[in-house]
Amino acid sequence: MAASSSRDNVAGPSGAKNARGMPALAPWLGVATLVLMVASLFMVFEYVPTEAEQGIVQRIFYFHVPCAWVAFAAFGLVAISGVFYLWLGDQIWDDLGYASAEIGMVFCTLVLITGSLWAKPIWGAWWTWDSRLTTTFILWLLYGGYLMLRAMADDTPEVARFGAVVGIVAALDVPVIIVSVRLWRTIHPAVLVTRQGGHGLEDPRMVATLLVATVAFTVMFAWLLMLRFAQLRLRTRMKELRRKLALAEASAGDL
Amino acid sequence: MQNFGYLFAAYSIIFALLFFYVMFIWRRQAGLEAELRALEARLKELGQSSSAASANSSRAGQ
Amino acid sequence: MGAFAAILRKDLRLELRSGQSTVALFALSLLILVVLVFALSPDPANRAEASAGALWVAMVFAGMLGATRALLAENENGCMRALATSPIDPAMLYAAKLAAAFIFMTVAEGAAVILVVLFFNLDFGPELLRLVPPVALGTLGFSALATLLAAISGRTRAGDLLLPLLAVPMFVPALIAGVKASAAALSGAELSAMTRWLGVLVAFDVLFVTLGGLLFEHVIGED
Repeated sequence: MAASSSRDNVAGPSGAKNARGMPALAPWLGVATLVLMVASLFMVFEYVPTEAEQGIVQRIFYFHVPCAWVAFAAFGLVAISGVFYLWLGDQIWDDLGYASAEIGMVFCTLVLITGSLWAKPIWGAWWTWDSRLTTTFILWLLYGGYLMLRAMADDTPEVARFGAVVGIVAALDVPVIIVSVRLWRTIHPAVLVTRQGGHGLEDPRMVATLLVATVAFTVMFAWLLMLRFAQLRLRTRMKELRRKLALAEASAGDL
Repeated sequence: MQNFGYLFAAYSIIFALLFFYVMFIWRRQAGLEAELRALEARLKELGQSSSAASANSSRAGQ
Repeated sequence: MGAFAAILRKDLRLELRSGQSTVALFALSLLILVVLVFALSPDPANRAEASAGALWVAMVFAGMLGATRALLAENENGCMRALATSPIDPAMLYAAKLAAAFIFMTVAEGAAVILVVLFFNLDFGPELLRLVPPVALGTLGFSALATLLAAISGRTRAGDLLLPLLAVPMFVPALIAGVKASAAALSGAELSAMTRWLGVLVAFDVLFVTLGGLLFEHVIGED
């Protein structure tokens, strides 16, 4: 296992930074996010045709699906960061994982809310235990558990390890969850209506809109991740400075 | 335009939540930077006073 | 191997002497089942589903208590630190803790099954035997999960709140599969009808026992 001193590695992430530790790339990603979002909105509201069966409410789909993709991808990143943290011991991986978990939680919440707002007019119920929504809900609970752990255990020195373990275990559990929930739902189709229209996109304009929206959300995720990650790096650096300060004050008191 | 309310609500909530998260990061940043400056200033202060003290003691030791 | 047996024997002996955890597990299972009888008002039509559900609810919540207490003693006495710094292979340590948890839970499960039969007007028949595979697999999976997570939650404040928050979502696939398989067993189905659910349970168990063995060292170590 890596020596404990490497866990204190706060030499700083590589790459150009301004004085506040914000990477130079950040504003560019922000601009790209804005441009892509505007483009997506235009496509969703002006370009893409209205779906025949579901009406205008179906347009929620174009932002709902990218949110889901980001939520799952962010969770994967939490787990991968966890693996690197346990393997290499560098705090930078924990900062990345924590940032990814927070942002993933935001997007996961959006999946559930938009899913609900889409379900109500179409199927008449705010919530259906359809397999995809259910799996996303469990993911939301897993995120919640991870964030609660970080919140409650923040003063424990081993919190990064705990987070890494929880992240890895939860992520590897997700495939099992997906399979079991799908089996659960196919046996009891009564209450639920399996979501259709998910990938039966007839019009190529719909596909294009979905693609652009997905790219927009991915870039937004990268931007938010960069911001929050840089902020957590700053926080880590400050913890190190505080430690140095405490030492310096102690030795100054000895003089 | 039936169900427009749901559509509007969905998109509004998306942007509202994202906006709040960005605000959360922004406000944290100001606090962190202020604390960082204070820490660095204090460390510099201690650095100067200890080097002055060691300069004095090395002089006194001669 | 020697270390595994030694630690397991220690935990079992401690428990046999005081009987605290087993009594607590049993009492908690009993109370949960009583609550569920009143909450669910089972009628003959849904008896199998209701009793399967009740059994698994009792398993999960009583199991969490058991897991916390099993590791509590070690954390309190600093024994965990001693075990962590000893040359014992952490995977062996995990296996021993897992085995102890599994044994305690199985004993409690047995009692719970009897209570469920009594409370929900079932028969002491061959269906109960078919209940063994899902319940055993579920108990193993839960022990594996809870032993790993309780080692984390035991070292954080408000840990007894954190354990269910972490464990319940992670346990969902086993819960789904276990309840479905148990309900099938109790309504007289053959084992062949339960294969897909048992498959999920086996996959779950393999995953969590492996992960627990691999990751336990990171959870008991100190920085």
